[in-house]
Amino acid sequence: MQPILQIRDARRTYATPEGGTVNALDGVNLDVGANEFVTLLGPSGCGKTTLLRAIAGFEELDGGAIHLEGADMRGIPAFRRPVNTVFQSYALFSHMSVARNVAYSLEVAGVGKSERMQRAGEMLDLVGLSGMGARKPSQLSGGQRQRVALARSLIARPRILLLDEPLSALDRQLRQQMQVELKNLQDEVGVSFVFVTHDQEEALTMSDRIVVMKAGQIEQIGSPREIYRRPATRFVADFIGETNMVAVALTGDGKATTDGGLVLAVPSDSGTGRATAILRPSDLSLTAADCAPNGAIPGTIRQEIYLGSELHFLIDVGGSIWRVTARDDGRDYHTGMRVALTYDPANVHLMPEAV
Amino acid sequence: MRKIRPWPLTLTLYSLLFFCFIYLPLVVVIVFSFNSNVLDMASWESFTFDWYLGLFGLREVAPSQGTSAIYVESTDQLLNALKNSLIVATFTTIISTTIGTATAIAMARHRFRLRGTYQGVMMLPMMMPDIVLGIGLLIFFITLGFKLSLLTIIIGHCTFLSSYVFIVVQARMAGLDPALEEASADLGANEWVTFRKVLLPQLMPGVVGGAMLAFIISMDDLVITYFIAGTDSTTLPMFIFSMIRRGVKPEINAIATLLILASLIIAGAGLYLRSRRVE
Amino acid sequence: MRRQRLFLLGLLSPVTLYLGVFFFGPLAIIAVFSVLEPGLYGGVEWNFYHWNYGRIFGWADGVVEWYEPVYLKILFRSMLMAAFTVIACLILVYPVTFWVSRLPQRAQLFFMFLITLPFFTSLIIRLYAWLVILKPSGLINDVLLGIGLIETPLDMLFTRFAVVLGMVYVMIPFMFLPVYSSVERLDRTLIEASGDLGARGWQTFLKVILPQTLPGIAGGSVLVFIPSVGNFIIPDVLGGAKGLMIGNLVEQQFLDARNWPFGAALSMVIMAVVLTVMLIYATKIVRAGQRIGEV
Repeated sequence: MQPILQIRDARRTYATPEGGTVNALDGVNLDVGANEFVTLLGPSGCGKTTLLRAIAGFEELDGGAIHLEGADMRGIPAFRRPVNTVFQSYALFSHMSVARNVAYSLEVAGVGKSERMQRAGEMLDLVGLSGMGARKPSQLSGGQRQRVALARSLIARPRILLLDEPLSALDRQLRQQMQVELKNLQDEVGVSFVFVTHDQEEALTMSDRIVVMKAGQIEQIGSPREIYRRPATRFVADFIGETNMVAVALTGDGKATTDGGLVLAVPSDSGTGRATAILRPSDLSLTAADCAPNGAIPGTIRQEIYLGSELHFLIDVGGSIWRVTARDDGRDYHTGMRVALTYDPANVHLMPEAV
Repeated sequence: MRKIRPWPLTLTLYSLLFFCFIYLPLVVVIVFSFNSNVLDMASWESFTFDWYLGLFGLREVAPSQGTSAIYVESTDQLLNALKNSLIVATFTTIISTTIGTATAIAMARHRFRLRGTYQGVMMLPMMMPDIVLGIGLLIFFITLGFKLSLLTIIIGHCTFLSSYVFIVVQARMAGLDPALEEASADLGANEWVTFRKVLLPQLMPGVVGGAMLAFIISMDDLVITYFIAGTDSTTLPMFIFSMIRRGVKPEINAIATLLILASLIIAGAGLYLRSRRVE
Repeated sequence: MRRQRLFLLGLLSPVTLYLGVFFFGPLAIIAVFSVLEPGLYGGVEWNFYHWNYGRIFGWADGVVEWYEPVYLKILFRSMLMAAFTVIACLILVYPVTFWVSRLPQRAQLFFMFLITLPFFTSLIIRLYAWLVILKPSGLINDVLLGIGLIETPLDMLFTRFAVVLGMVYVMIPFMFLPVYSSVERLDRTLIEASGDLGARGWQTFLKVILPQTLPGIAGGSVLVFIPSVGNFIIPDVLGGAKGLMIGNLVEQQFLDARNWPFGAALSMVIMAVVLTVMLIYATKIVRAGQRIGEV
């Protein structure tokens, strides 16, 4: 099936005030399919917002092309594109009622007033704001404004909904609740979502696919599991969750040797040569040093961080620090204690060392 | 939290005195507008409404106490001057608000090479001394063969009041989220619809504020008007100015009081509207 | 992009045309007139004629036009009076801004309103009020005579003092608002820190408060100085012959002497003073303010 959105070799360069230039988009290729929830993830300045704004039509590309349902978007102004945006600031019109905000695109398109108000009412029902249509945006809470912005940009049934860090202004609890609601809403309305965020937790929770960006380029595209389990680059591994990364030499028999002389068990099909081994803190388990099984990694507890249901440890393994997450099982660990780390070799991910 | 040491009492007293100083002249004018002393209007005699009645031709001010002067020369003249001022201020407000608002929008939403130049040029008419602009316009109109009239006054006022409106609207524009216009475009509105349905309503407080400022300054302008008014286009400030030049007359107090009250009502209403919008 | 250009053109052409014709046109024509020969009975002869400036600055031929140092004298006096106005405004206003800045939010708004309100009442009436107060049989003399402090009325009206007083009164809002905005933004923890570090009150004032509020003071000073130096209404109403300022000279050339080229030359001098002040402000003081802001 043809993707709804195709981006080919998108390029955009800005002049900096100092007289230099910055590549906000440096040859980006991306396809988005129907009903897909795609997240653009990366640190600020990585180009994710520029890409979103280029799709919406607020920015023009210097090179490359954006096709929406097969149609080239070059020169098409924002108001003629079948995409809608939820802004970071929500950008609600403070001089209009909530219902008029929601019905704005219908009003502009010349839809009659009674139909407008009826459909606005339906959209408000959908986002859980029934009966709030007569209020002004200033009378709503942050979460409610967020829903109005969503309803407003979904009422015209866009082909793609673009969301520019829409949850960043909400507090943590509300943000987690909205993550679930957004995902459910997307299933319900059947519109493709392109979601921009710098929050990896948000990206992992909601996305069908995550696009990790850095310095105007795509580092990796994949499902949340792939991104987390099989990061393609050091940057991705670092950016998504906590990681233990160690340079190793593969010996080809399911073993790898670190520069410190430590031998790790790795998947048996991993070949030979230099590589970077990646182990997530949650894939490591702690045991007391004296009852360690064969092949366990010996270390010393440097620091213990208590987080309620979880314990975080910083373990000194031959001079380098490894992170370990463990459930609080009531066992007594203390700083300076000698321990051993065990793991499932299948969970060790190897990347070519160059990246 | 540490408590901030309060100001010394002397500062409070001084500040209150300062505000008395600001309002003293206005109070003096208002009080003495009810003074019945014909000979020396600065010495209080007794309370009277005569000056107000005389102003509107309702009472011939008696040439009592040995004077034979009838002080209000002509109510018609006064009303005519008021009418001229209102005409000038109304047209000036419309034109300068349009020009100033358009410029403020252009400056805020577009990037162009001469942007800095325009910003500077918009400050110039405000900073140019009135007298320079006044005589410049006078020579300009005479040399080009314009007849001095209400029209020349309107043209003159708009040259500097467009800048005032520009400043006020630009301030409002700066506080506006650019995403509002993007959202409107995103939802299918072209530039004109966005302007009408989103930008203009959002800018309204600034536009109304700028328009009020333009109206008040235009009503009050004396220097520029003084040079470019024709013989039959006397405005209210010019009328009062000529009355004062010919010697202080008691009716001026009455006229002044009415003008002060009118300004207080307009400015008070403006402030009230603004505070309501804030809520 | 072409759409954008079109909109920009539509938005900018009114102001470009208007100011181009009715603002820069008059300024240009003043410049031209200032080097034309005055006609015998008003009007001008279209010949180049530099003796208009000669009369002011001293190279007149002494036959047709005479150099009169009085013009320069009045120019400097006007600048001096404007400078006095600036200083008096600042001294009057500065303490009050601190007092207002620490009031509750609503009270702050109220007092700001009180400051700006007189600005919205007619200028000519405010001046007239001072005429009533200052004149020999006016309020001040009545009070002073009444309590026996003086025996003969003071001559306050038609003096330079009266002119400066009138200008101070009229210009107060222009000083108050910029100074207030910088005082309000003053970081109080800095003042406390300075006190903590052992600075005395006046040291804190000189080294912390004054530099921080300097941008507001400079802005207010320019806003007061410029309309003061070229003023002619205030000296006309309150100043009489003794309080004459450069603006009155210009007015006389246009309405009494009917020597327009000379009046134009005098206005060019006023314009030069004003532009110089603006230039100094823009290049020196604004930059200094930015430096302070960066610290």
